[in-house]
Amino acid sequence: MKQKVSTLDPTVKDQTTRDRATKSEIEEEVARWESETRGPFVAANPERREEFLTQALKWPINPLYTPADLDALGFDYKDDVGFPGEYPYTRGTGPNGHRSGFWTMTQVTGFGSGQSWSKRARYMLDQGLSGLILEYDLATTNGYDSDDPMVEGEVGRAGMALDSLEDLEEAFDLPFDQLKYLMSVCNAPQPVNLAMIIAALEKKGVDPKDFVLHIVNGILIEYTCVGRYIYPPEHGLRLATDCIEYIIKNHPNWAPISIISAQLQPAKANPVQEIAFSLAIACAYIDATLERGFDIDTVAPYFHFVVNVDMDFFEGICKLRAFRKCWARLMRDRYGATKPEAMKIRMMTSPTTTALTLQQPLNNIGRLAIMATACSLGGAGENMTTPLHDEAHSLPAEEAIRVGAALQHIVAHETGVAETIDPLAGSYYVESLTKQMENAAFEEMDKIFDMGGALKAIETGYFQRALGREQYERNRDIEEGRRLWVGVNHLKLDEEKREINIFRLNDEMESEQVAKVRNLRARRDQALVDNALEQVREAARNGSNMMESCLAAVKAYATHGEICYAMRDVFGEYGSDSQLGGI
Amino acid sequence: MTNTHQRPLRILLAKLGMDTHTVGITIIAHALREAGMEVIFTGLKQTPEMVAAAAIQEDVDVVGISTLSAGHTRNLPKLARLLREAGAGDKLLLAGGVIPEEDRPLLEEAGVDRTFTMGSDTRDIVAYLNEWWAQQLAADA
Repeated sequence: MKQKVSTLDPTVKDQTTRDRATKSEIEEEVARWESETRGPFVAANPERREEFLTQALKWPINPLYTPADLDALGFDYKDDVGFPGEYPYTRGTGPNGHRSGFWTMTQVTGFGSGQSWSKRARYMLDQGLSGLILEYDLATTNGYDSDDPMVEGEVGRAGMALDSLEDLEEAFDLPFDQLKYLMSVCNAPQPVNLAMIIAALEKKGVDPKDFVLHIVNGILIEYTCVGRYIYPPEHGLRLATDCIEYIIKNHPNWAPISIISAQLQPAKANPVQEIAFSLAIACAYIDATLERGFDIDTVAPYFHFVVNVDMDFFEGICKLRAFRKCWARLMRDRYGATKPEAMKIRMMTSPTTTALTLQQPLNNIGRLAIMATACSLGGAGENMTTPLHDEAHSLPAEEAIRVGAALQHIVAHETGVAETIDPLAGSYYVESLTKQMENAAFEEMDKIFDMGGALKAIETGYFQRALGREQYERNRDIEEGRRLWVGVNHLKLDEEKREINIFRLNDEMESEQVAKVRNLRARRDQALVDNALEQVREAARNGSNMMESCLAAVKAYATHGEICYAMRDVFGEYGSDSQLGGI
Repeated sequence: MTNTHQRPLRILLAKLGMDTHTVGITIIAHALREAGMEVIFTGLKQTPEMVAAAAIQEDVDVVGISTLSAGHTRNLPKLARLLREAGAGDKLLLAGGVIPEEDRPLLEEAGVDRTFTMGSDTRDIVAYLNEWWAQQLAADA
């Protein structure tokens, strides 16, 4: 039996070894200041609220933090913070912060057909972005073709419609000398999606060594809170592991797995749940990948995390710092990783869309600027993605894309926050909160490991129920005024004037896409397709890696939905009502 | 509506199509239940046909649809039509989520009784439903 992760760190010091004289001196001074200076003032000027709490965790916030708070937590500069680019990476995984180069600035895009995606992608590259994120419509991410009766009205709406290799061939009509990084978000049908991208890049003559494809491959979070699943969790985990194995063996410069903690946050996971659930989920993938014969020092560097920052500035910054440290400890102490690369978390950050309001949407630009600043102060990671201020209204318009791109440049070039490494380190509050989050996250992880790990936590509904409770309680905080939210329950306008332009989809797009996939089915070599789909079923049955059969099928122009159905034949479908917290 | 007497209002909450954003509907379900209503959830990935059938089978008074992926201009009018065709047009049909202002007339004309967009207060939704239910009970008495 493995030791509790919360007690694994051998560097945690015994309190008694600390310099008690220094500690008590500061404590005495704090007590003196309370009675002589602060106390009388507060008696005459009562505080504006009964209790001050962090926004998501609802942890009490003291009026003042001093070295005494750090001592009480057993904080040790060398062990808890250390140096940039060195274990435990609290101050960043890179040795020079943002001084040698900024994070990669990206934005989400993806809607309509392959052609319209390509047009929008070019526009975004022209705005100074160097990487893109490709999101697919809900038909695609749930494993259906555009003409499936299950998805009427959804085609091309929440992302690009992807029915066959043809669609990606059109979407990839792009300057690949400019575009060096693409993230693809398609979890449940991941092997099919990966196979299509590989085949399309081949057709475009793109050298896979000269380009980074980043697949999200995040099926376990889909079961936890997003809902875009197809097959039962154990099969979902197997498909994800197939993709990880294939990429490590064939495209070692690509990114085969991301844990999108940024999907747990909108589902109202608090920062401790985000860290603990994300890392427990990572462990499920890691354990499955290690079973394929890899070692931890090879596997760990392939894991990427996407982490959101919400409006509580310090919760956001400390979460990013604690995340890095928790990953490092987990890799070193639970898995015995020895290489620094295995202990350095790969992270992408983003301001959260859930802080944005439908009311007075221009206010969201202010919120985004603050959250982007917090991302940068927390270390930003390799990438930062900014959502757009009009997202609560509808799919984004071009002006919002321009403002969103400019926002990151403003943070990077105008504020000075990126000029020194981890500038908030040493703040008594920031270090206290970081350390508290780390401790609480390891306790929560132990709870999850005790119940059998993330797969069990999903199958028993533990994650889902925990999030459902947070969702309800945090909404009540707003409705009952414990948390003020401008435009929602504070500074409301009686009659709101429309302040933004809304991008509208062409309704004909769906019928065109339906016609297109039917046309393809009519003219392709059906015998070749049938044979390829049988190979997919066979691989699903015999447990071999799905990638080879998926590649053959997409190249034969079997459709995305057909390949997903072939796997449904073997795996079955997952019950659709399993994920709502408390309903 | 018959035999309403003093029983609590029954509401079916549903997500249509592939839209699986569930935070809003989870909050609404908790709030309505706390307000004493009977809440039934269909599960995810429902077609308008499945929701109409469930509404009739469960004999609910209200159907509430949560939509956040822009599919509302097609699937909500279809659901309203299916309910009417099945003789269940008297059920109150509500929609919530991301619904642009200019789509509301279209939805109202199609038979959606009321929309509550993102940011609506659950207490307003509860009050609206309580008032509607009181009217039904009064008309029934």
